[in-house]
Order: sequence, then C-alpha cells, then structure tokens
Amino acid sequence: MDTTARSGDDQGRAPLVTFEDVTLSFEGLVAIDDVSFEVYPGQLFAIIGPNGAGKTSTFNCISGVYHPSAGRITFEGRDLLGLPPHAITELGIARTFQNVELFPMLTTLDNLLVGRHVHYRSNWLRDGIWLGRARREEVAHRGRVEEIIDFLDLESFRDKPASFLPYGVQKRIELGRALVMDPKLLLLDEPAAGMNLEETEDVARYILDVKEELGITQILVEHDMGVVMDLADEVAVLDFGRKIAQGRPAEVQSHPEVIRAYLGASTDVGGDGGAAAGGDAARTGEAAIGDTTDRVTDGGAS
Amino acid sequence: MPTTPLSVRYEDDLRLFASVWRRIGIVLLAVGVVAFPFVVDGRWVMTANFALVAVVGAVGLMILTGFTGQISLGHAAFLAIGAYTAAVTGDTFGLPFWLSIPLGGALAALVGLAVGPFALRLRGLYLAIVTLGLVFIVNHLLRAFPEVTGGLSGIRVPMLWWFDGPRVGDATWELGPLTLASREQLYFLFVLITVGVVLFATNLRRSRTGRAMNAVRDRDVAAAVMGVNVARTKLEAFGISSFIAGMAGAMFGYVQTFITIDPPFNLIMSIEYIAMIVLGGVGTVVGAVLGGLAFVAIGPIAEHLLGGLPLLSELSSSQQQRLMFAVIVGAFLLLEPLGLYGVWIRIKIYFMAWPFRY
Ligand SMILES: Nc1ncnc2c1ncn2[C@@H]1O[C@H](COP(=O)(O)OP(=O)(O)O)[C@@H](O)[C@H]1O
Ligand SMILES: [Mg+2]
Repeated sequence: MDTTARSGDDQGRAPLVTFEDVTLSFEGLVAIDDVSFEVYPGQLFAIIGPNGAGKTSTFNCISGVYHPSAGRITFEGRDLLGLPPHAITELGIARTFQNVELFPMLTTLDNLLVGRHVHYRSNWLRDGIWLGRARREEVAHRGRVEEIIDFLDLESFRDKPASFLPYGVQKRIELGRALVMDPKLLLLDEPAAGMNLEETEDVARYILDVKEELGITQILVEHDMGVVMDLADEVAVLDFGRKIAQGRPAEVQSHPEVIRAYLGASTDVGGDGGAAAGGDAARTGEAAIGDTTDRVTDGGAS
Repeated sequence: MPTTPLSVRYEDDLRLFASVWRRIGIVLLAVGVVAFPFVVDGRWVMTANFALVAVVGAVGLMILTGFTGQISLGHAAFLAIGAYTAAVTGDTFGLPFWLSIPLGGALAALVGLAVGPFALRLRGLYLAIVTLGLVFIVNHLLRAFPEVTGGLSGIRVPMLWWFDGPRVGDATWELGPLTLASREQLYFLFVLITVGVVLFATNLRRSRTGRAMNAVRDRDVAAAVMGVNVARTKLEAFGISSFIAGMAGAMFGYVQTFITIDPPFNLIMSIEYIAMIVLGGVGTVVGAVLGGLAFVAIGPIAEHLLGGLPLLSELSSSQQQRLMFAVIVGAFLLLEPLGLYGVWIRIKIYFMAWPFRY
C-alpha cells in the first residue's frame, strides 16, 4: 500500500497493529471494505472520514466487538480475530466510545477502578473474605487511579455517580478509565465530539500529554479536522468503508479524493450504486452516529 | 497536608467503619442484637429467626439481581435444595448442621452454575422464565423420590451439634441469670451466619469482583471491552448467589423443623425475595438486610392492623401479610425507587444538613 506516505522514522520497525485486507459487512451493507493499515509504536495515528465511513466499526473490529468476514488484525504480531473482547483488552488495548459508555450507577472512582480490572490478581473468594492480598491490591490500584484522577483533574467528581455528571466530564472519565489500564494501545473514538472550543483544546492537550508523557500509541478517530491535523503523525481517510488515502496530515489534506469526500460530492461517485446508497443512509446527520453506538450495545448483547 | 504516605489514606478510605459515628453505631447495633432475645417475648425470637433467614436469602439474591442485574425467579429452588439437603443429611445420615449448611449451599451452587450458562444467552424476562422453570424441575424431582425426601408428606429437619449427636436446643443453657433455650441458641447461630454473609457481600461489593458485576449489570459490552470476562462474572454471581440461597434454605428448614415441598418452595417465595430486595433498595447490601427484616416484621404488624378491619380480618394471616407487603412494595416502587435504603440516605442527608432544610 502507500508505504511511501509513512513517516520516515518508522521504517524498519515492527508495527504494533496491522490491519490486513479487513472486510466487515452487515446484511449486504459493507461497513469496512478491504482496508489495510499499520500503526507503529509511539505513533498517533488518526482515522478520519465522513459519518458512516466505518471508523467506529474499525475500532469494534480491533476490540473484538465486531467480527470481520475477511482479513487479519494483529497486535504485537499476535492474531486478534477470534479472541473475545476481554482477552483483547488483557493484551493491552484500551478504548473510549463515541457515545459515552460509562457505568452510570458507579461513581467516577469505581468507573476508573473497573479500568484497572485486568491488573488484579485476586478472585471472588479473596475479594469476599477481604483479608491480606485483596485489600493490599485494592490500595495499590487505588493509588494508580488517583494519579490519573490528578492527571485529568477529576478530583471534584471522584465520589459522584457518572450519570449525574456533565457530558464533557463523562468523556474525560472515559479517557481516564482507558488510561488507568496502562495500555500499550489506546483507541479514541471522537474524544472531542460535542465539545466547545475550550473543552476541545483541553482534550487535545490530554491527547498530546498521553503521547509525550506516557508514550502510549494511539489511534484517534476525530471529526474535528483541526485536532487531527495538529496532533496526528499519520492519517488514514475512510469513505464508504474504503481507505481512500493515507499519509502525513498535510499530504492527506490536499488529496483530491479526500477533498471530494469531505465536500460531500456523493452524487458524482459513479459506478458503485449499492455501497453509495447504504452509505448515504448512514450519512443523514449526527443522529446516525448515536444510533451506531447504541447498536453496538444491543448487538453484542444478543 | 499530605504528611502521611498516600497508601495510608486509601487504606483508611477503604475501612468499613471509618467514622466515629459508624463505629458507635456498630457497637450499639451489636449490643442490641445480643440483648434482643433476652428483652423480648419468645415469639419475637422466633420471628427474628425467620427474619435472619430472609436476610441471608435476600443478600444471596441481591448479589445476582442487584449487583449483576440477572433477574431470577428461581430463588425458591435454591432454598429448596438447601432445605432438603439439611433435612436428608440430618435425618438420614445424622450429619451436624455445620456440615449440612455448607453442603446445602454447595449443592445449590452446583445447580446454580448449571443454570448460569442460560444467563449468557438470555436476559431480562427470558432469563426470569427459564429460572422459574428451575423451581418446577426441583419441586418435581423432590416429589419423584419420596423414599429420600418424604415426598408429599414432608420431612423432619433435625439440627445436630455433632454426628448423630445431640440436637440444638436439646439442652437448655444457663448463663448466669440468662436462659438460652432452643430458639435462642438458633438465634445466636443464625446471627453469626448472617454477619458472615453480610460481610462477604459487602466485601464483594467494594472489590474487583463486585465492580465487575456492577459493570456487567450497567453495560455489558463496555464491561467486556474494559477487560471483564462477562460470562465468568455472571457464572460467579450465579454460583455465589445460589450458595447463599442454599444456606438460607437450610436455615429455613431448621427453624421450621419440618418441611414440605410446595408450599413453601414455589413461585410466590421467589417473588417475595425479589420484593424484599426491591423494598430494601436494589444494588446495596444494606438494602437486602432492611428488605429481609421488613418482610418478616410486616407479618405481625399486618395482623395487628388489618385484624380489626371488617373484610380483611377474614383473610388468613399469611394472606394479610402478603397483601400488606404487596401494597408497601407497590408504594415504594412509585414513591421511593431506591427503597428503604433511599429513605435512610434521605434521613442522613437531613441530619447532616440540620438545622437547615434543603
Ligand atoms: N451493528 C451494526 N449493524 C448494522 N449496521 C451497522 C452496525 N454498525 C455500523 N453499521 C453501519 O456500518 C457503517 C459504518 O458505521 P460506523 O463504523 O459507525 O461509521 P463511522 O464511525 O465512521 O461514522 C454505517 O453505514 C453503519 O450504519
Ligand atoms: Mg463513529
């Protein structure tokens, strides 16, 4: 593929994530159409594209919520397909959701502690008896959680149930819940969606801190082009489930296909009627985005 | 301010009885619980024994339904398994109660784990219906082997101190001026079991396992993506919950001394346990305790209140109890969805804000 567009300093390093010829379809609708890309350690890799392009679906494939019909996804050289979501998380992959998916009845603190789940060694019996190990572990993990609470300025919300908090704070807690995992890879699905200018700047600063202070590899899905162009090392552009461009932000910005996709010139995309019709249905505004995440919840549950 | 190392602070934060008030409260409660059987009429000690059974059973259901969000109508089946295990092991094999109770729990847990996999595929009402099926299956099996279970004519539930040994209550204990007859001995044994079960559930609630259960209840896909093994968490909830229900069943058998299959182990019992945790406040251990206590306390109160009314006094006392309970639970669902626990929180807030009204 467009290896030419890859940042020079990645040459010769093993990729952290590979996405190879992945295809995902829902009853005739092709959500991801033969997409490939590689993400290298330390990179901040952005995926952009219009609504319904398949960005969230890409995340859902990586975290094991959706199951591609073809292709391969690897993490540190290990095949992810077929692993259940919790096993994928245990490998060191954390994520946030486009629509906040906090545990509404739990406090900020408890939500974050759930994020530490994979690092505990205790079991139900030790937890119930609560002597020695279980208690020591709780104290240790609590320490890490408090650091992240500090990092994200969440002190004043610590003991409040998540559902009572403002949207912007909930998004920040979600970021925190992913960060306390100490992941090797962080997937961020539109972290700045629905935020005002100031909040968006805060989010951008946190993302940069995560990259620079914590050194965590990130894949960022974001609508706000400003954020993406400022932060990303590399950008892949999806449209109707297909990757239409990849490269450094400046290169991608001037790519003719990208300009066409973003100007919404869907009428003159001749020849692929079926996919275009499906995609158009999904493009009808912000509501479609919200619906998608709801379906994630229902779909995985049945 | 932070002159002490951080870990010490979290340690304090995790303490159950962190504040002075809580510690005073717990001491008063302990004194009250110990003094109770000596200051009230013997009839009330009996009522208290039933209440402790209800509390243990309600805590068991709270772990499954309140913590993990799995609605079960099968609770009566697990109690039946515990009760009949206690009956058969005591009556036929002469096992002491301290073996029979955990054995009843273990058998119930085995059945619970066998039902658990259904919960991996079904949710909400569908799960409720499948678990209801369990009540019929267990009742059918108990009837099918009358040589073992006594069938329709019922079975004795002897509570032995030792193998083939003396029974609890055979000897009356004299402790200075205090006399502990059968029901007082039962009371103190049950208090010990109840304290153990309540502490276990409280610890679960504030640790990794309990948080995982809550996460599964609130959003199972997000829970899985956070690394929670959803299937395993549900199975753990079924196992722990049915173990505790089995223990409650054995305790129930010991208070009754003689049991039959249906009644009491039927759909109504399952619904009563759901009502208890709803009344107490779903999701909290305190709620289960309050709900269990309230359920049993309502019986005598209902008799007292409804006994004087024209039509209602014709009802049997258990019908009166159920009617009263249904009305109260209904009222709570409408007015205070957080249950008695919610009322408690309000009272606390009121006094914390005192003398200001908020
Ligand atoms: N669970 C699902 N069932 C059916 N269609 C889905 C599901 N999830 C996503 N889709 C469809 O796949 C396409 C891509 O969706 P998505 O990945 O959410 O887009 P994006 O995140 O880029 O806005 C859309 O057409 C959407 O309607
Ligand atoms: Mg999306």
